[in-house]
Amino acid sequence: MTRFCEGDLVRVLALGKAGHVRIPHYVRQRTGEVVGYCGTYLNPEDLAVGITGGKAVDLYRVAFAQPTLWPDEVHAAHDRLIIEIYDPWLAPLSETSNAP
Amino acid sequence: MTEDKGPRGYHDVGGDTAGEIPKVELPWLHWEKKVEAIRGLLGDGTRRIVSLDEVRRGFESFGIEKYNALSFYRRRLEAMTDILVEKGVLSRQELDAAVASGRARWRETSGSE
Repeated sequence: MTRFCEGDLVRVLALGKAGHVRIPHYVRQRTGEVVGYCGTYLNPEDLAVGITGGKAVDLYRVAFAQPTLWPDEVHAAHDRLIIEIYDPWLAPLSETSNAP
Repeated sequence: MTEDKGPRGYHDVGGDTAGEIPKVELPWLHWEKKVEAIRGLLGDGTRRIVSLDEVRRGFESFGIEKYNALSFYRRRLEAMTDILVEKGVLSRQELDAAVASGRARWRETSGSE
């Protein structure tokens, strides 16, 4: 059972981690929509320091309306950026987003 | 946008102004393919000697000057070498000796042709 489902709104956290992370600065603190589940992978933050026996984490595909990332006149609201984000970097937008 | 997004590495340039992007297809050089081949072998599931994320951590720790001075594959090569030394898989001395003997061999071969 994964924590998020397709259609869930999620916010990308700013975990303040030093070292190698795969979550670019421009998506942190932004709200997007889960559009896919990519499977479970070893955490790249562990792999980056040679830990190959760490806990595997879920990876989601998350879509952001371009203007939420680049608020200007050029980026149209119907254009999306889709990026893969690991579970620990995501929070549900509202506590009820997973309710039936 | 004043909210705190946390630390940002010098390599994390998404969204920065970059000026004109040169639309030139660069050749993929033989030594670059070798770097990728070796990296693939070091990182595969049976060896797990150096992972791609370790290589990334390596060049993300170069400091911005060295990082910007090197090409894509030179970064990977330098970082991969650093990690192999860090893990004691090879020493700088062994590496320097191997490079010296490789150079000497190359000089002999190219001189005889």
